[in-house]
Amino acid sequence: AQMSSSSPSGSGGDDLSERRGIPAAKFIQDVETYLSQSGFDSNSALAFHQERLQQYKVVEMKLLAQQRDLQAKIPDIEKCLEVVATLEARKGTGEVELGCALILTACFKTFSLKDLISMLACEIEHVVSQNIVLASLEESTETSLRVSLLADFEVSEGIYSRACIEDTDSVCLWLGANVMLEYSCEEATALLKNNLENAKASLEVLVADLQFLRDQVTVTQVTIARIYNFDVHQRRVNQVTPTAIAAADA
Amino acid sequence: MQQGKSSSSGSEMQVTWEDQQNINTFSRLNNRFHELEDDIKFAKEKCDNLEDAGNELILSDEEMVRFQIGEVFAHMPREEVETKIEEMKEATFKSLEKLQQEKESIVSQMAELKKVLYAKFKDSINLEED
Repeated sequence: AQMSSSSPSGSGGDDLSERRGIPAAKFIQDVETYLSQSGFDSNSALAFHQERLQQYKVVEMKLLAQQRDLQAKIPDIEKCLEVVATLEARKGTGEVELGCALILTACFKTFSLKDLISMLACEIEHVVSQNIVLASLEESTETSLRVSLLADFEVSEGIYSRACIEDTDSVCLWLGANVMLEYSCEEATALLKNNLENAKASLEVLVADLQFLRDQVTVTQVTIARIYNFDVHQRRVNQVTPTAIAAADA
Repeated sequence: MQQGKSSSSGSEMQVTWEDQQNINTFSRLNNRFHELEDDIKFAKEKCDNLEDAGNELILSDEEMVRFQIGEVFAHMPREEVETKIEEMKEATFKSLEKLQQEKESIVSQMAELKKVLYAKFKDSINLEED
């Protein structure tokens, strides 16, 4: 950046005066000039810059939260892509699969006898219906039930159930706001890839914003230290006893 | 989270725009350094987990293995799982290497900047971790 030597406030040239609503911290070439030209005395200048610093910190918190959200979202989208890809890859390779079972794994809950009986009754019904399917399959020459994937998924903590996922050309995607939409596999992949690209791009912009912000914070901290030192120096020069203060906290 | 830039009292030290930019760069590098350390730790853990998974797979002799995809465990034939684990291991290892290279370059850049800044400011600046 070119130093704008004609600038009256004695500040160095900045690349940007602000970025997406975040004001840049002007670099001060010479503290004495700055103080006399701005009409600030040391204390009010310090107060001004301290307040600026606080404002920067508030914005930083917000940006960091956004960054965390995006960083969680990206692996989620990648997982979805993987699932769709797996389903697509296994189309037509599956074998006829029969018999889905409800599996209780590491379940320490005690059921009442009534509940247990009703659960088993459902299970028996399930198996009975599977047997009917099996019988009809044996009869027919065409097998229409082709399963591409067996997956165990979590029903509740510690309880898993098995799903037979048939060959399919479409998947349903959760769009948020209680909306789920069915897409063909290709459309779903395209949509997910698009979302992934957008998320990554947003993250890049966010990271750049944070870097800019941190630079401004650093400049402000150095400015505060310099004004403070100048003040101490002035007091010494004016032979006022300086109070023993530790160096300005960075 | 400061890595201190405190100045000792009294000295009328002039800070030029170039100095300020050096300090800014140092701060950026320092932040990136800490991020990288976290990323490297995470990648190492992932590598170890994949290693363990691979070993478990060799020890077990089930034909159908439950492999985690997304939130579900899909039943897959053993060879497919083996291949997948190998692929994941390679990818993670490569990214770990890249991260470590970046970290080394940052460390050397920071050392350079430290030299420059300490030369100008001596005791007036603190660039160490607190």
